[in-house]
Amino acid sequence: MLNLISFEASALGALGQLSLLGALALTLGGTWLAALGGFRADPRATEAARRATWAVFALVSLGTLVLMVALLRDDFSVRYVAEHSMRASPTWVKVTSLWGALEGSILLWTWLLSGYAFLLSLTLRRDALRPWALGAMFVSLLFFVGVCATVASPFTPLAQLPADGRGPNPALQNHWMMAVHPVLLYLGFVGLSVPFAYAVAALITGRLSDHWVVVTRRWTLTAWAFLTAAIVAGGWWSYETLGWGGYWAWDPVENASFIPWLLATAFLHSVQIQERRGLMRSWNVWLIVLAYASTVLGTFLNRSGIVQSVHAFAGGPVGPVFLGFLAFLLVLGIGLAAWRAPLLRDEADPPAPVSREGAFLAGNWLFLVFAVMVLIGTLFPTFVEALQGRRDTSVGPAFYNAFAIPLGLGLLLLMGLGPLLPWRRADGQSLWRALRPLLLAGLGVALVAFLLGVRAWGVLGTVALAAYNLAGLGLLTARAARQRGGDVFGLMREQPRRYGAYLAHAGLVVMALGIAFSGAYRQDAQVTLNVGAAPVRLLNETLALQGTRQDTKPYGNSAVARVLIDGQPFEARLNTYVQGGNTSFPAPAVRYGLLGDTYLVVTAFDPQGRWASVRLIESPLVSWIWWGTLIVVLGAGLTLLPPRRAPTRVPSVRTAPATD
Amino acid sequence: MTAPSPLPRARRHRRSPLPAALGVLALVALTAFIAFGNLGRSLEYFVTPTEYLQQRAEFEGRPLRIGGLVKAVRYDPQTLELKFNVTDGGATFPVEYRGAVSDLFKENQGVVVRGEFQGNTFHATELVVKHSEEYHVPQTQAELKDLLRQSE
Repeated sequence: MLNLISFEASALGALGQLSLLGALALTLGGTWLAALGGFRADPRATEAARRATWAVFALVSLGTLVLMVALLRDDFSVRYVAEHSMRASPTWVKVTSLWGALEGSILLWTWLLSGYAFLLSLTLRRDALRPWALGAMFVSLLFFVGVCATVASPFTPLAQLPADGRGPNPALQNHWMMAVHPVLLYLGFVGLSVPFAYAVAALITGRLSDHWVVVTRRWTLTAWAFLTAAIVAGGWWSYETLGWGGYWAWDPVENASFIPWLLATAFLHSVQIQERRGLMRSWNVWLIVLAYASTVLGTFLNRSGIVQSVHAFAGGPVGPVFLGFLAFLLVLGIGLAAWRAPLLRDEADPPAPVSREGAFLAGNWLFLVFAVMVLIGTLFPTFVEALQGRRDTSVGPAFYNAFAIPLGLGLLLLMGLGPLLPWRRADGQSLWRALRPLLLAGLGVALVAFLLGVRAWGVLGTVALAAYNLAGLGLLTARAARQRGGDVFGLMREQPRRYGAYLAHAGLVVMALGIAFSGAYRQDAQVTLNVGAAPVRLLNETLALQGTRQDTKPYGNSAVARVLIDGQPFEARLNTYVQGGNTSFPAPAVRYGLLGDTYLVVTAFDPQGRWASVRLIESPLVSWIWWGTLIVVLGAGLTLLPPRRAPTRVPSVRTAPATD
Repeated sequence: MTAPSPLPRARRHRRSPLPAALGVLALVALTAFIAFGNLGRSLEYFVTPTEYLQQRAEFEGRPLRIGGLVKAVRYDPQTLELKFNVTDGGATFPVEYRGAVSDLFKENQGVVVRGEFQGNTFHATELVVKHSEEYHVPQTQAELKDLLRQSE
C-alpha cells in the first residue's frame, strides 16, 4: 500500500495530496454522471457532469499551485521539492522545476487536461454528443489524475526532512527555453484529447454527421499550432544548449513528439474533405484515435526508459501504467470504430485522384507512411534487444534521412498542388494551365541554384519546390486580390481560413529551406586557441582568444571564453552545476544571421586560463527554421479568426447544419 | 490516373477497395524494403571490446559504439589529438579521436565511443558521455561494471 499522505510530515504536501485525491473522487463522480447522462439521456446528469469538470479543474489547479508554492518557498517536506529543487536556484529555475521531472510533468499534463476539459464544458452544444464527449474527457482525466494522485504523486511524504534539496536537473537550468518547450508540448499533446473525445462521442451516439468534424477542426488546429511551436522550440533548445550546432537528432523522444504532429497534420487536411464533401468518415475517426494514442505512446516511451534517449527518465511504475492506458485507448478506439463501421461508410464516391480532396488524400498517405517509418525507427532498437538480446542498439540518422527527404519533398509537391485544384474534380487542361507557371518558377530557380553551385539533390529539390509553392500561393492570392481591387488585407479578413492556410504553407516552405540548407552545408571545425597568440584561420574566419574568466554562482560555475571572430566579440561559456558534478554544459555563443549563423562552443579549458579549445560551426539559413515556424503559427492563428464579411457585397447565407 | 468507370456514377454504391488495398500494399512493401535493406545497415550496435574480438567479421567497418574503461590516455590540447586504449578487462583496442576532451576524461574512467574500426584501431567520431536518466553524473565505474556484467 502506498503511503500517500501524512499531516505531521508536511502541511503543504498533505494539502496538495488532498486536492489531488479530491480531484480523483470528483473525476470518478463525473465519469459516472456523464455515463448516466449518456445512457439515460438525462440532461440533469449531463449538466452535473459538466459542472464536475469545473470542480476537477479547480482542485487540480490547487494541487499545481501548492506544488509551485512549495517550490518557491523551498519547502523540502514535499517530496518533489526535496528531490528536484534547492535553495540556491534562481527563481525561474524553481518555477520550471515544476515540470523538470516525472511527477511534476505528469501533474502539469493533468492540469492542462483538466483545463481543456473545463474549456470544452463551456463550448459544448446541448446535443446528444455532450455527455459522451464529457465522458471521454473524464476517462482521460481519470487516468491522469489517478496516476498523479497515486503512483506518481509529487506529494508523498518523506521519511526525514533534508536541509536542502537535491537540486534541479542541470540540463534544464541551462536555457530559458526549458520554461517554454515542455508547456507548449503538453498544450499540444493534451489538446488532441478534445478531438478524441468528440470522435468517441460521435462513434457512441452514431451521429457521425459532420458537426463533430467542424468543431474538432478548430481544437485540432489549436493543439497542432502548439505542437508545431513546441517541437521547434525543443529543436532550438537543443541548438542553443547542447553545443553540437544541430537542432534535430532523430532522438526517440523527438520522434515521439513528431509522430503525433504528422498524424495531426494529416487529420487537419482529411477533416476538410469530410467537411466539404462528406467523405473519409472512418479515416478521420481512425486518424484522430491514432493521433491521441500516439501522444500517450510518446509519453510512455519518454517515461518508461524502454528506449535510450536524452529525455528518458526512469519512471518506476509509470511506464507499464501508460502502456496499459495506451492499450485501452487503442482497444476503445478500434472497438468503437469497428462497431460503427456500417455507419461510417461514405455515401458518395471516393475522391477523384485529380481534385483537391485527391491531393489531400495523397498527402495523408505520405504523412501516414512517414509516421509509420519514424515509429519503426524508434522502436526498432527495442525489438532488436528483445529478439537478439543486444543492448543499446541505435538507429542512425542515415536511416531516417533516407525516407524523410523523399517524403518531405513529396509533401512539398502536394502542398503546392492542393490549393490549385478545385474540389470534386479537375479537368486536365485547366490544371496544366494552372501548373505551368509554378513548374517554370521551380525549374528556373533550381537552375539558378545549380549554376550557383548547389549540387545536393535534396537541396535542389527543396529549392525548386519552394519556388513552385511560393509562386502558386502568390498567384492565387494575387488573382483573388485583383478581383477585389488589390485589397489583400480585406481578403484575409473575409477568408481567414484560406489565407491562414496559405500563410502556414509559406511558413513551412521557409522552414524547409532552412532545414535543407543547414543540413547539407553545415561546416564544423575544432581548434585550440591560446591567449595572446596569433589569430587562427578556421572556416574562412579569423579567431583570436582575448581572455578567459570564471563566474561563480551558488548553484554553479561558468567558465567564459572571450573570442574575437573576424573582429566581432563572442562570449561562449562552459557551465557546471552543483548537482552535475564535473559534467559541463556548454552555452554556445551564437551570432544569428539571415543567411547563416556563426556558432561558437567552448569544449575545454586550461585550468590556468592560458588556452581554450573551441568548436566553430557555420550553418546557413538555420534562422529560417525559427522564422518559418513563427509564420506557420501566425497562419494557424489566422485560420481560427471568424470571417468578416465585406460590407460591399451581399452576404451569402449559410444555413447551420442539423446536428443529427 | 484511373480510367473513368463505364458504369453510370450513381449506381456505384460500394466503394472500390482497390485504392485502399494498393495503399496498404505499398506501405507494407516500402516498410519491408526499408526494414530489411537500409535499416540493417544503419543500425549502430553497442559492443564491448571482447564482443568485438569474438565477432569481428560481423562488425568490422560498421558504425559502432564501443564501451569500456579508458587506459593510457595521450592527449595534446594544442593539436586536439587524443589517443587512448579502451578495455573491458578481456580485450583492449586503441582508439583515435580528434577533438577537445574535457578534464573529465581520465584514466580508468568508463567511456562509450561512437565510430568504426579500421584495422585494429577504432576511429572515433564522438565520445558519448553516459548520463544517468536524471543527468546526475553516473558512477561511471560502477555503471560500467554493471554494463560489462550484463554482457557476459
